[in-house]
This record gives sequence, structure tokens and C-alpha cells, in this order.
Amino acid sequence: MNPAAPDVAREPTATEAAPAIPAVDAAPEPQSIPWRHRHVLDVDVLTADDLDLVMRTTDAMREVLERPIAKVPALRGRNVTILFYEASTRTRVSFEVAAKNLSADVVNIAASTSSVTKGESLVDTIRTVEALGAQMLVMRHSVSGAPYLAAEVFGGSVLNGGDGWHAHPTQALLDLYTMRQELPGGSVEGRKVVILGDVLHSRVARSNIWSLTAAGADVWLCGPSTLLRGFEAWAARGAAASRRFHVTSSIDDALRDADVVMALRIQRERMASGLLPSLREYAARFGLTRQRLAAAKPDALVMHPGPMNEGVEIAPDVAVSAQSRITDQVTNGVAVRMALLYLLAGVAEGRGTVDGR
Amino acid sequence: MAADAPATVSAPPATGSDVGRTVAELDLSRVWLVDPFAGREGAADLVVRGGRVQAVTWLDGPDADGVDPDGVIVAPGFIDLHVHLREPGNEDAETVASGLAAAAHGGFTTVCAMPNTDPALDDPGVLARVRAAAATSGSPVELLLYGAVTMGRDGDRLAALGELADAGVVGFSDDGAPVGSATILRNALMYAGMAGLPIVDHAEDSTATEGAEANDGLVATVLGLRGWPAAAEISAVARDLAILVDVVRDVPAARLHLTHLSTAGALDLVRRAKAAGLPVTCDVTPHHLGLTDEWLAGARRWAWDASGDPWGDGAIESAPYSTTVRVNPPLRAPQDAAAVLTALADGTADALATDHAPHTEVDKAVEFGLAANGISGVETALGVLLAAVDAGRLSLGRAIAALTSGPAIILGGRSRRATGLVEGAPADLVVFDRSDRWTPTAETIRSRGKNSPWLGRPLAGRVLLTVADGRVAYEAPEGDSAQA
Repeated sequence: MNPAAPDVAREPTATEAAPAIPAVDAAPEPQSIPWRHRHVLDVDVLTADDLDLVMRTTDAMREVLERPIAKVPALRGRNVTILFYEASTRTRVSFEVAAKNLSADVVNIAASTSSVTKGESLVDTIRTVEALGAQMLVMRHSVSGAPYLAAEVFGGSVLNGGDGWHAHPTQALLDLYTMRQELPGGSVEGRKVVILGDVLHSRVARSNIWSLTAAGADVWLCGPSTLLRGFEAWAARGAAASRRFHVTSSIDDALRDADVVMALRIQRERMASGLLPSLREYAARFGLTRQRLAAAKPDALVMHPGPMNEGVEIAPDVAVSAQSRITDQVTNGVAVRMALLYLLAGVAEGRGTVDGR
Repeated sequence: MAADAPATVSAPPATGSDVGRTVAELDLSRVWLVDPFAGREGAADLVVRGGRVQAVTWLDGPDADGVDPDGVIVAPGFIDLHVHLREPGNEDAETVASGLAAAAHGGFTTVCAMPNTDPALDDPGVLARVRAAAATSGSPVELLLYGAVTMGRDGDRLAALGELADAGVVGFSDDGAPVGSATILRNALMYAGMAGLPIVDHAEDSTATEGAEANDGLVATVLGLRGWPAAAEISAVARDLAILVDVVRDVPAARLHLTHLSTAGALDLVRRAKAAGLPVTCDVTPHHLGLTDEWLAGARRWAWDASGDPWGDGAIESAPYSTTVRVNPPLRAPQDAAAVLTALADGTADALATDHAPHTEVDKAVEFGLAANGISGVETALGVLLAAVDAGRLSLGRAIAALTSGPAIILGGRSRRATGLVEGAPADLVVFDRSDRWTPTAETIRSRGKNSPWLGRPLAGRVLLTVADGRVAYEAPEGDSAQA
């Protein structure tokens, strides 16, 4: 949980913490706040300064993406292994594009084609991919906490691409980046951000609670009470016992004067255990429609981590409306992942372990 | 002996290979003796000759000067009502021999093993096999056995309760799982009541805990773990007690024992049932009184120091999702842990039982959600209780009673030894140094199950000697102390 303290042998100097990206004239400015984290497993350990550093590094990566040839040699010769135990297209491809834009060597392993199906344990798999040359590991797993087990045995950096219900740090960071980019004033501070839908099963919601409250947003969770189980107690205490947020099943209260509305995916299996009577009932009561959105601020941003069930948690016309930032999220996702890979590579260099120095 | 002289433990030098040897001569001088059977604790001398207690001499006046409960303590051998020894079927995790060695290292001279072996202990043939393993081990630790309530612990068909009773089981349990069917539970209570034996229920409403991973609360919410509600235990206890009310009308000798209770609500129900005169007893574990669900988040502080929100007060010091703290029932919130400790202190909980549940690394070095439930705990129970005593949450006398006379009363006459330190009887005792600490590690614990949250964390109360049935069960090697 606290990867900062034991993982960094010494404070990296400013130049080590921010190695210039060759051939990028707008490389991240020398940082007064060094990146201290060997892994990115959860958002809870990231401070406001850490978030700021990620945002500024992402700005630089956005500039790279806008070039005719969106490729820099920052991670040349480094092996980034992408190990996904759960089906995913957009997140996996986003990581792959990010790593390739930084000129990393990318190895893709999908659980269905790996030895996982032969009963190989996660620990064995991690040791094997490390022996095969993995220096940075991007991992998605259906069991909450699995990346912590990986980080315990892996010699390089682990970047959590989503674990169970627990965390999806890169999604939360790209969400924050998108909001800062699109909101007037470039800040989420004091802005009303509504996370709408299946909060209980959502790693996106949990990670956004940490990042958005750290950045000073007024966070509202909204959904059927069955899908908010346990969050009222957390909201009352606040993230880190101080950063309070709101929990409500009243969509009217939630959407009133909202600055950002983020709808979450509803999965069909939620009906099996009696959490919801039907998708029809959910869409009628909690679906993000044009009429409902009218209660929010006129220029409120509409977001969705994808993949969408159009017509269930979000109406098709809302998803493609002028207020929608869903495709910006996808583009920013690549930039944020580039930034994190870049920052983690800097830590690895500072420690002198990954490249053998 | 002169006043203020240190306690002495005088016996001929011995080595580890002497386990099983009769204690010919043992002189324990100026020790703090705690004997809950006699209802007494204080300075004493104790003499063992030929394996038998020859003399217990309580010291008073100047003779007792300088003898205090912070040094060497002698107590009757501990009794554990709830261990898993894994034999037959899972000898990689524990064998009868390794389990009894671990018990002796923890100061226990009697353990009661659960029947969830493979095959389950549901007929006298399996019982004979386990007893043979105990005899072969050479350990003098007394092994008592529970029989299964249902055949193969399937929850449907009553096991051969009468035959198992005749073969000497001390009760019946489907532990690991509750007796799910109310009808089976009623019939088992009535049938076992004919032999005066308890049904030991693992009280859990399984319909409320499907896929559950962590106590339903802040920690589970933040970590994204499937919630394990306290209500699943409380409602099961309420059901069990309601059935017991009915059963005792027909079978007054019927008895119910609820094991490893972990919630304030369940313990309140037991407290009221006892006040109403129902024949119910219960035990609690060291981990449910000493630890909380904060440990899943990576906090490493005692329950009585916990806030319930380790993110809020900077208590997180280790990585989250350690599978050593995955256990059934789960580690609970601080208020539940406090209720467990209160129940032990006020006698609502009759006994401390370890629920010693050894597992192999294969079953624990996996993702949290896939890991086996259980803590290897028979060697660390004393240290956890002493931590509660040191924190002022429990008296020393009550702690020792929960390890000795409390479980002895539940066993009735079915333990040959549970009588305390009686002159002329075979010696059954533990000697430990409360001022000395030891550090559980994979090397220092005797159990094959290294799945202990206390590995690498020093505990008070190093056991120096365990004597069972007049024979050496455990003797500390020289220089086995964590203190320099």
C-alpha cells in the first residue's frame, strides 16, 4: 500500500527524475516533486503533488500524440509486458499503443492463451514473464488485490490495469486529466462530479473517489441502494478520514447543477443475485437521458469509462452529444499511460536496477 | 530460599529428542503459579517426581517477596477445543505428529481435532486411524476428536453419532461449514444429547456469505472485497438457540457449543441465552480478539489500538491483501473485536480456542480471493492473550482460565487430564516466561502451516517447558529467546 518508502534507495535528483525525452522539445519540465513510486497499484497512495506531476507529464505526452509521427524513444530497449487475466480490448490496446509510442518492446499475454488455463499460479507466471525479460508489467486481473501479489515477486515495476472491484488507477487519472482539460479554469476543485451506476462492483468508482477527492472535487455517488452497499459509511468518514463525499439514490439530487456526470457500465449478471430486478427498471430510473441531464449545468461534461450499454446506463443521443467527452477519454488514456510508463521508467533508472547499472 | 532470589526451573538437562520422556525430577521454585482449577494464583514452589506432582507449596509472607506475575509463570497445561490437524488427507499442511508438536510448543497438553479431514471423521474407522497416528508420534499431548455431524459433512445424512460416541469422540461438528439444515441440527442435538455430547456449530448463514472475502465494512468497501456480514453469524446463532430451546424440552441433556464467535451481536445472544439457563457454551479465537479487518488493508496494530479506518490515521505499514489474515469467520471491525475480548473477560465466552488451521504455501501464496481460509494459531495463542493482558484488557487469571478450566468444564470428564495441579496426579503443566519474547518465524514454529500473521512479530510469553501426562511434550532449546 505504501510503495514509496522502501522502494527508493535515495531521493532521485531532478534530472534523474525527469530524464529528457530525446527529440521531444516539450519534454516534462524538471520536476520539483520527484516521482517516488516504484509501482502504480492504487490511487490511494498518490498525493495531490503526485497527481499534479502525472497531469503535467500527460500534457507533454499529449503534445507527442499530436505530432505527425507520434513516437519518441524514451523507453527504447525496455520490455513492457501486458498481462491480462480478464477480457478487455480498449484498456489493453491503450496500454499497447502507449508503450509503443515510447518505443518499448511490447509483449502481450492474454489469460486465455497463456498457461494460466493449465493451473499455473500467478506467482509462477510472474516469475516466468520476468525470466522472459519483462521489466515493466501491466496487469489486469479479476481478483481484487492481485497486482499486490505480483508486485511482491516481480523485480520491476507493476502498473495496475484494473483489479477486481478494487482499483483502476489509469482510468481514474485519465478521467481527472479529461476533466481538468475540459472544465473552465482547468481544475476540478469545488466541481460537482457525479459517478452514476454500479458503484459497488466498480474499480473505476473506487479509484475516482481517491483521485477526485484528493483534487478537491465535490464527489457524488448515485445508483440503486443495492449497488451502493457500504459506501455511505465510507462517505461519512471520508477518503483518508477527511475528504468527504456524497452518496445518494436520488438521481435528481445527484444531477442538480452537476459539472461532470460519469455513467458506469451495468452488467447483466447483476440481476442474478437480486441486486436489480431488471435492466429495463434500471434504465428507467437511473439511465442518463437527455431530460435528466438537463438538471445538470448546461455545459456539464458527460463521461463513461466504457464499454457502454447504450440505452441502459446511457442514452445513445447523450453518448454522442456535444457534451460527451467519451472519445477524449480514450485519447487521453493513451497519454496518461505513456506518462505513467515514463515516470515509472524514471524511478527504475534512479534505482539502477532495471538497466543493470 | 532467600527472598528476592530469581525463579528457578531445575531439571536434568534434556534435548529435543527427549520428547515423551517421563519427567523424573522437576523443581519449580519461586514461580508465579496460576491454577484456575483451584481458583488461586500466587507465588509457589512445585515439585514433580516420577512424572507426578509431588508437592504444590503456596508461598506467603517474606517467602513470596520478589515473586510476581511478570516473570516465570506455571499453569496447568492448556486445552484447545478447536484445531485442524489435516490428517488424513492433507498431510502437506499438517500431520497429527506435527500438529501435536506445535500444540506442545504453544503450551497445550490437550487438543480437540475437528473432523473435516479427507475422508471426514464420520465413522470409527477413521477415528482409529487418527489415534494410531497420535500414538506413533510419541507425543504425550492428549488428542481428543470430534465426529462429523453428517456423513462426509454433506449436511444431509446424520453420521453414526452413537457409534462415534461409543468410540470416544468428545462432540460432533461439521466445522468449516455450518449445520445448514435446521432439521438436521435439531435431530443431531437430540441424538447427541442421549450421550450428553455437544453439537459444536460453526454458525454461519451460508446464503449471506456466498463468495464473501472480508468483513462487511469500510475495509471491504475500500479494498473492493466481497462483504461478509456479521448478520450471517448473528442470525445463525439466533436460529441455533431457538432450536435448542425446543430441543431441551425433550432432551434436557442436549448441549450446544458455538465455536469461533466473532461478532458483538452473536455474543450478546449467547449472553442472554446463558442468563436464561440454556445449555449453551461458546469459544472465541485469539485472532478475533487481537486483530481486526484493518490487517487486510496493511495495518499491523492490536485490535484495542485500532480505529477501523487505517487510511485515515496513517496506520498502513504493509502491503494490503495478505492472505495470512484471510480466515472464516473473517477478522471483524474493532467494535466486534472489543466485544469478543469483553465476552472472554466476563465469561460469556467459556474458552479460548485457536481454530488452528494450517495451510500449505500452495493454498496461501495466491490471490486473496482464491486463498484458503485459516490461520495457523496454536503456537501464538498465549502471546496474543498476554498482549491483551499487558494492554490492561484482560486479567492474567482470566486469560489462563480461558485456556484451562474453561475448556475443561466443556469437556467434562472426557479429558483424562483436565484437573489442574493435583498432588499425586500426573503432571500436566506449562512453564513460560512472561518477561521473555520470542519471534514466530517459518523456522521457529513447529506447525507445517506457516500461515501466521505473527511471523516476524515478537510475542510475549516464551514457553520454556510443556509437560503432558508426566512426560516432556516440549522443552525450549537453549538460546531460543528473541531478547538479547
